[in-house]
Formats: sequence, C-alpha cells, structure tokens
Amino acid sequence: MRSYLARKILMLPLILLVASFLIFWAVHLLPGDPARIMAGMQADQQVVNDVRSRLGLDQPFSTQYEIFLLHALHGDLGVSIRSHKSVAQEIGERFPHTLALTTVSYIFALVMGLTGGVLAAVYRGRWLDHLVMMGAIAGGSIANFWLALMAMNLFAVELGWVPLIGADSWKSYILPAVTLGLLPGAVVARMCRASMLDIIHQDYIRTARAKGLSTFNVYVKHALRNALIPIVTIVGMNFSGLLGGAVITETVFNWPGIGRLMVDAVRDRDYATIQGITLLTVAIVVTINLAVDLLIAMIDPRVRFE
Amino acid sequence: MQLEPPLTMDPGDHTASLTADVLDPVYESLTRFGQSLEVVPCLATKWSVDASGTRWTLQLRKGVQFHDGTPFDADAVVSSFRRLLDPHRGLAGGSRLRAVIGGVQAIDPGTVLFTLKTSYASFLSMLAVTPIVSPAADKQGILSRHAVGTGPYQFLEWKTGEYVLEQRNDRYWGHRPPTAQLKWMWTSEPMLMNMSVVAGQADIVNPLPPIFGEALARNERVKLVQGGEARVYWMALNMKSRPLDDLRVRKALNYATDRDALVRTQLRGYGTPANSPLAPADFAYDAQIQGYPYDPGRAKGLLSQAGYGDGLTLKAVVQEADADLVEALQGMWSKVNVNLQIEKMETGVFSQAIFGSAQQKAAQGIQCVFASWSAEDLDPDYQLSPLYRTKSWSPAGANLGFYSNPRLDTLLEIAAGELDTAKRAALYGQAQQIISDDAPHVLLYYSRDLAAVHRGSRVESMRLLPGGRVEFDGP
Repeated sequence: MRSYLARKILMLPLILLVASFLIFWAVHLLPGDPARIMAGMQADQQVVNDVRSRLGLDQPFSTQYEIFLLHALHGDLGVSIRSHKSVAQEIGERFPHTLALTTVSYIFALVMGLTGGVLAAVYRGRWLDHLVMMGAIAGGSIANFWLALMAMNLFAVELGWVPLIGADSWKSYILPAVTLGLLPGAVVARMCRASMLDIIHQDYIRTARAKGLSTFNVYVKHALRNALIPIVTIVGMNFSGLLGGAVITETVFNWPGIGRLMVDAVRDRDYATIQGITLLTVAIVVTINLAVDLLIAMIDPRVRFE
Repeated sequence: MQLEPPLTMDPGDHTASLTADVLDPVYESLTRFGQSLEVVPCLATKWSVDASGTRWTLQLRKGVQFHDGTPFDADAVVSSFRRLLDPHRGLAGGSRLRAVIGGVQAIDPGTVLFTLKTSYASFLSMLAVTPIVSPAADKQGILSRHAVGTGPYQFLEWKTGEYVLEQRNDRYWGHRPPTAQLKWMWTSEPMLMNMSVVAGQADIVNPLPPIFGEALARNERVKLVQGGEARVYWMALNMKSRPLDDLRVRKALNYATDRDALVRTQLRGYGTPANSPLAPADFAYDAQIQGYPYDPGRAKGLLSQAGYGDGLTLKAVVQEADADLVEALQGMWSKVNVNLQIEKMETGVFSQAIFGSAQQKAAQGIQCVFASWSAEDLDPDYQLSPLYRTKSWSPAGANLGFYSNPRLDTLLEIAAGELDTAKRAALYGQAQQIISDDAPHVLLYYSRDLAAVHRGSRVESMRLLPGGRVEFDGP
C-alpha cells in the first residue's frame, strides 16, 4: 500500500513535465496572435509589434519554453497578459469558487441520486420507481443551459428569491448547484438502482434479513455499501473533470470560477493562464484518481494494492 | 454591466472602448468633450496655439491632486505623455500620439508646451482621450492593475473574474458624483445583461445588444436610453483581388445591398443606413452624400457590363458573432448572381487574418471582410486615415482592402492640419464623396448607442454621450 502510494506520488512530477511540454506546444500551435488581441482591432502594426516584444513573444519557441519551465520549477507560472496578475494568484482566487460550486452540486447530486436510486430499487416496478426514473431521464436529457436560463428567469428575475449572478451568499449557490448537479444526480440514481437491484437478490442480503436486521440496516449498511463501488469510480472521474471548470454553467451564471477563466484565456491566447489551468487540471485528475483508488480500498476490503 | 472585461487599469495601454468606459470615472484628461462634442476645459483651463499650428501652450488647473496624493502639475503631465511617446515602453495607446507629438515640456508648474510634428487639427480632441496618470504610480509600475488618476471616483479593487469597484473621490475638484460606489461587471452571455437590468441586479447595462431593445422598451421596470450614432459598419472589398479591382463590380455590390433591411433585422431599427464613411456623430458628416440606394436591376446591369452577367463567387471572412449579418448579405447578393462564400472564424483567428498583407490575403483567398470602426475622439481624421489612406494598408493600419487614391491621401493630409473648422469640414465633404465614388467598401449602417437602466435606481437620469460613454452628472 505504502509503496503503491509512493510510486503514484513520484509519478506526478513526471506527468506534469510531459503535460507541460504538450500544452506549451499545443497553445503555440493555436492560430491567432496574442499581441494583436491585446493591442485591439484598432491598433496599428507598430503597436502590435511593441506589445509582442514586451510580452516576449518574438523569442523563438525553445527559448520561450525554457523560460517557462525554469520559472515553473520555481513555482512561478508566469503573468497573465490579460489581468497582469501572476497566474498562480489568479488561479488561487478563482479555483475556490469552482471547488465550492462543484462540491455543493455533488452533495446535491449524491443526496438526490442515492436516495432516489435506493428507493427505486426497493420499490421496483411501483409508482415511486417510475417517478424516480422519469426524473432521472429528464435530469439526464434536459440541456442544462436551457434549464438554467428558465430557472433564472423564474426564480431570480420574476420572483426575486435568489440572486441572478455572482457568488456573494449561500443563496447564490442554489441555481448553479442544482443546474450542475442534475446530470450527475441522474447518473447516480440510475447506477445506484441497477447496482442495488443486483445486490438485494443475493444470498447475504437474504441472510441479513433472516437475522432479523431492520429494513434500513439491510438496505443501507449491507446493500448500499456494496452498490457504492462502481458509483464512487464514476463520480470520482466526473468530479475531477468538473474541477477543471464547468464552462457552460459558469458562463451562464457569471460564476467567477476556473472554467470561465479558461474560456477567456483561450479567447485571448493568454498562454500563461492556459498552461497554468491545464497543469492544475492534470494534477487534480491524477490526485483524484488516486483518492478514488484509496476510497475503494476502504469500501471494499478485498481490494489490495501491490 | 458590459459585454467584455477590462483589459488593464492603465489607460495608456489599450485601445478598447469598453475598457475606456470602466476607467473613465477614475481618470481625467487635459480636455474633454461637451454635450455637442465641442472640446471644453478639464485638467487644462485654457490654451493657445501659435500661428504655425504646431506649438500649443496649455494652462493647468490648480489645486488638483491624484488619488494617491501626488499633486497634479506640469511635471505630471509631461511624465504622463512621455511614457506614451517612449517607443521602448510599448504602450498600446502610444502610437497615434507618437505620429503627432514631437515633444512636451513644462514651462512652469502651471503651464505645459506641446510641440507637434505638423499642424494637427484634432490635437485638442486627441488630448480629450489621453488620460493623465499619477507619475508616482507609474514609477512604482502598478498602473496595469491599479488605476490612479484625478477623476470623480477613485479605484478600489479589480477582482479579475468578477468586477471593478470604484469609490467616490471626496476631494474631487468638480461636481460631486451621484453614487458612493460604482461597480463594473461583465458577462459574455448577452441574455444575462438583459435579465440583470430587469431584475435590478445591474442598474445599467451598456452597450445593450439591439436584439433586446424592443422588449426592454416595453418593460416597465427598465428605461431604454438611446444615444448617438458613432460607429460605422462596412464590408471591405479586397481591391488587389479580381474581380473586386473593377469599380463596376464594387458599385454593383453596393447597389445589391438593401441597407434598410439590414438596419431593421440586424439592429432592430436602432441605427441608420450608411451613406458616407463618416458617422452622423462626426461634425464633418455629410448627410447629402448620395451613397447607393438598393437597386438590384442596376447592380445586374453593372455586373454584365463588367463581364459577370452569369454571376461570380466571392469569399468573405467574418467573426462568428457577426455571421448573421454576412448571411443576410449573402442572401441579398445572391439575387444578382453573386455567390458569397462565408468563412466563419473565432475572434483570435479573425483578427490575425484580416490584418494580413495583400499576399497573405491572396493566399487565403480573402476578398471581403466585415468590420466596424468608431473613432474614440469622434474626429474625422481618426475615422478616415486608418481606413482609407494608402499608408494604412494592412498590416500597418486598417485599410483592409488595399484601397489607394493619391488625391484622397493628399486631401486627408491637408484636412488633418487645417485648423479652421468650416474649411476642414468642406475638405472632409470632398473626401467623403471621393470614397463614396470609389466604393472601396460596401458601407452598411451606423449603429445607435443603446443602454438600459433599471427604473428607480439612483442613476436613472444617466445619459449616453456620443460614442456610448455614460454620463451621470450635469443637467
């Protein structure tokens, strides 16, 4: 177990190094001139050239990568050409917003999905099952930006119950978290139902029931714990993906998170910011995958790492 | 609330009008524009020019301080201009000044002298859009993140993804501004601007996309505010490519364009069909220029004279956001057998493609480019010289179709140096006619500045200055 962990952790810098080169190379392949974008459409060529040399973009590719790498090794991801702030500081300000929104939306998704999935499995074929599954199909198929706009118009513009945009209070979380949590909630509900149905017909569940355990204990302690294994894997992967920024939700709700930062950075060819966010995302995905492995070992004692 | 974030807090390092809007309450210039676009005193109280038109002496306002406590005086003005004139600084706002201003010096603490390279009529207008920054803040190198000027509001905070916050400057020398704080927000989702002002989460949205104008005009929670028409939209025709080197073809495209329909559909009526390369907000705009009325019959005649009676194919590039308009043109031109092929581009790619040289455009097959222009100082020189002079051929400037007429070049040169406004307007009258006759562009329309304000907010009485800037105080 320890050596497995150590190996995974030692791999991280190597993965980041390879990723940094690929990202650096890919963003420089993007057509479009950051100097022109910064200087503006009404700027003349002289200005564009001045801006380019000030940003160091007139240097050869290898020199630019060398400078980037040396700085990155010292923890300096460069300065955003857009906000004139250090990329690390920029990410530091924006990432907590994304983390908070993703966490809240996943709590919502898990509570809704697990409750719905268990109930649907227990009441299989009855109206509650049909209701939950209809909800899951709707939640999985409605375009979330459309739902977001409808919900915003009703709850924020017409009724005024929640703020329309921004991340100022707990109320600001309601609409974006529900919008973002709906799809994973639907996935969890369907998976949970299927996996519960597999399990509740197995012998050990019958044994548990025969022992005289309460219904709650049978379903939640014995059945759900085993049903969780595939769900944890899927949720873990989705969660890490979302930490890279829920682009559409963040844009629609003007959420100051990392997803919007990334979109803006790509639009402005803000190389340093694109690199910084992508490296962060790589690190997060690797870390969360590791955490998922460990979590599964905790849930399922049969899993051992060599 | 507006549609894009500010690029910087340094007023000398951008050319974006929405960034200028955010910085406007914090900074002031030596002069400013009055209601009818006349130049009036601001940080300079009076001025004089010598007979040659190249030496301008300005008296400065006394007792003014920057927000960081630095006194405003001649040295501050000199350092504020020198940093822009210094090519090594590479500030985006500098190149236009470098072409005009030879030098600037302090005569005494209350007087500065500008020496121009040649006489330049719109010098005072140019000063109105050149904000003065605190020399101390510039020395510390903090201006890109931290705005320090002399304006009615002082800069508080720029949260990059969220807002810029400005607070009333209690030591301001002029009228006391109406609100204690200004908060600037932005979104890339136009629908959100619409909903924000209805919900009252934003007091003002500016500029308002015209598509929401009609609905908001009927909404009792919102007041629609209309301004002037300062922005010109056009399709540049690449005169280095066949068959657009033929005047008859260019004229035919102009006749084949139904500008009224474009104003109705693209601007929802908030604008006017273009007849001249100058916008109506410009003092030299000539409403009498005939332009090209919609006449598909005449267009067909010209095309068959030019040998394209059977039709021709052209390629246009456009930013994705503007694709609707070019598709409308595609429909109109197809009625005279012109097949317009459209290549949609993401903004970054587009900005690189349209500023290509003639060879680059030939290689990419770019024949038509849809673009727009608004002169920040609302002066005809800055509207016409970058777009139509031979020396402004892209990539050097925004003459995107490589138009060249030596007579026009000379005329624009003379007009730029003519200090008598009436004579100058007459020269620009001739220039507008020449450009219209040569048809290097298909001029489309002028958009009207449009904003919406939430009723009952403290800024309900706001107005739009020509060019779209918001003004709160005054009668």
